[in-house]
Amino acid sequence: MKIPNIKIAPKIKRSFIFIEILKAISSLVKGMRVTLSYLVKPSTVVTQQYPENRETLKMHERYRAELVMPHDENGFHKCTGCKICHNFCPNLSIIVLQRKNATSKKIEIDKFLWRLDSCTFCNICVMVCPFDAITMTQNFETAAFDRRLYLYNLNQYAGPTASVLSKIEDPEERKKEMEPRGLFEGDYPLNGKAQPGAPVHSMDSYTHNSTLEDK
Amino acid sequence: METLNFKTLTIASRVHEADALTILLTVVGCLIAIATFVSLLGLILIYVERKVAAHFQCRLGPMRVGPHGILQSIADGLKLLQKEDIVPFKADALLHVGAPFFAILATLLSLLIIPMSPVVNILDLNIGVLYLTGVGGFGVLGILVGGWSSNNKWSLIGAMRAGAQIISYEISATLALLVVVLFAGSLNLTKIIESQATGWWIWRAHGIGLVAFLLFFVSGTAEINRTPFDIPEGESELGGGFHTEYSGLRFGLFFLAEFINMFIMCALAATLFLGGWMPFHIGNWEAFNSAMNLIPPGLWFTFKTSFLVFVLMWFRWTFPRLRVDQLMTLEWKILLPIGFINLIVATLVSYFNFYFFP
Repeated sequence: MKIPNIKIAPKIKRSFIFIEILKAISSLVKGMRVTLSYLVKPSTVVTQQYPENRETLKMHERYRAELVMPHDENGFHKCTGCKICHNFCPNLSIIVLQRKNATSKKIEIDKFLWRLDSCTFCNICVMVCPFDAITMTQNFETAAFDRRLYLYNLNQYAGPTASVLSKIEDPEERKKEMEPRGLFEGDYPLNGKAQPGAPVHSMDSYTHNSTLEDK
Repeated sequence: METLNFKTLTIASRVHEADALTILLTVVGCLIAIATFVSLLGLILIYVERKVAAHFQCRLGPMRVGPHGILQSIADGLKLLQKEDIVPFKADALLHVGAPFFAILATLLSLLIIPMSPVVNILDLNIGVLYLTGVGGFGVLGILVGGWSSNNKWSLIGAMRAGAQIISYEISATLALLVVVLFAGSLNLTKIIESQATGWWIWRAHGIGLVAFLLFFVSGTAEINRTPFDIPEGESELGGGFHTEYSGLRFGLFFLAEFINMFIMCALAATLFLGGWMPFHIGNWEAFNSAMNLIPPGLWFTFKTSFLVFVLMWFRWTFPRLRVDQLMTLEWKILLPIGFINLIVATLVSYFNFYFFP
């Protein structure tokens, strides 16, 4: 019977056995020195005693946990409702609902819906936003007892952006332009079906990639 | 049976000519003392192991139960007590139930003759080293029986590995022990300690003792199945090795036996090579020796043993596990020849009485 040609790994070149033993011992000692340095230096400990050190807990800079839309001191946001973040979101965690302004007939934001339960915190929405309207914060304590509470509505009002609103002098006129929106007002069903009465932004009919390819 | 002449000293000697009741009470007292010692030592060793392991890996370890988690071992023990005791379907029930007791029995029998100080010494046996070697070999029986009776291929492979490993490494360990027996001229552990009154055997014999010590320490680590020689358990390839099918208190017994074995191995290494409870003496330097005598012998034993236990933990959390063939290569091709050469040189050293401070 012919033995099949088996490739064998090349032999490692070894020196005299006692030199090998000494080399092995020295490398073991080197490893032991490394672990001992960890043992004797308490500063190397990376464990965070979380609930106890809640006040002093400092997350890493690159850590991302919650998407927010910052509002300035007047309560204005910068979102124009352009839907770029909506189109770029890899798993449809952001749904932007637009509306037409009653007076100026311009497109503006109605609801900015963000699904925490499907978000992967990839930060693409923040990176593509041309107006810096949204940002990622480090608040990770977002646990809730109902998954419906993981659908956030990030804008506090439906209406034009800060730059448009700041041009309006009369506070009464301003108020008319800003229709208030609550954090959990985006009543978007989580079972994949379209919101009743909502425009075409349903999970079923929305084809994510086609809009990108059309451009 | 002439050689098994149990020469009793210390605690046992006090009941030498007493009535039956006193003897019975003393025996019961000794049993309770050993049981307490074993369980306390197990709790402490498990806690220390977890803490040391954590800090070797830049972690904190148990921190929740009690200050710095000192009650964690007790909580774990209570948890193990409450767990369901499962005997697998088609397992050899009698052997499966009995195996942990074999394992713990070997441990307890070895613990019987470790001289911890001139007074804390339950039994002073004239064939101490021989007895320890024999009883230590008994421990592998528990592992083999436990793995075989579980009716599980991983357990069986783990048990077979354990058998091959422990029996192989026992040769090297015994060769290293023989060196000290040659030097001291006795198998009695107390006599071996007394022979180190002018210096420990690790440095008095021109390096022979050091080589024997390293040999004993490495093969002893392999005998008690600790990393880097823990292939019988091998979590990554065998699930849990020989104790895969064990749960609850029986698993706890295996676990306890393993930790107490670690203590016994370190205590034996300390007794044979580092002088046991004998303080650090240098020949006839009277002032230095009497200064060293100020520290009580029990503390000397505790320090030496706990240092060796720490080194074992250090090994465990530093070195990677050996492959089965590498394990056998290390024993049969490296440690065994070194052991034989060392024994031959030790014979010459012993014959010509060529020590420091003979």
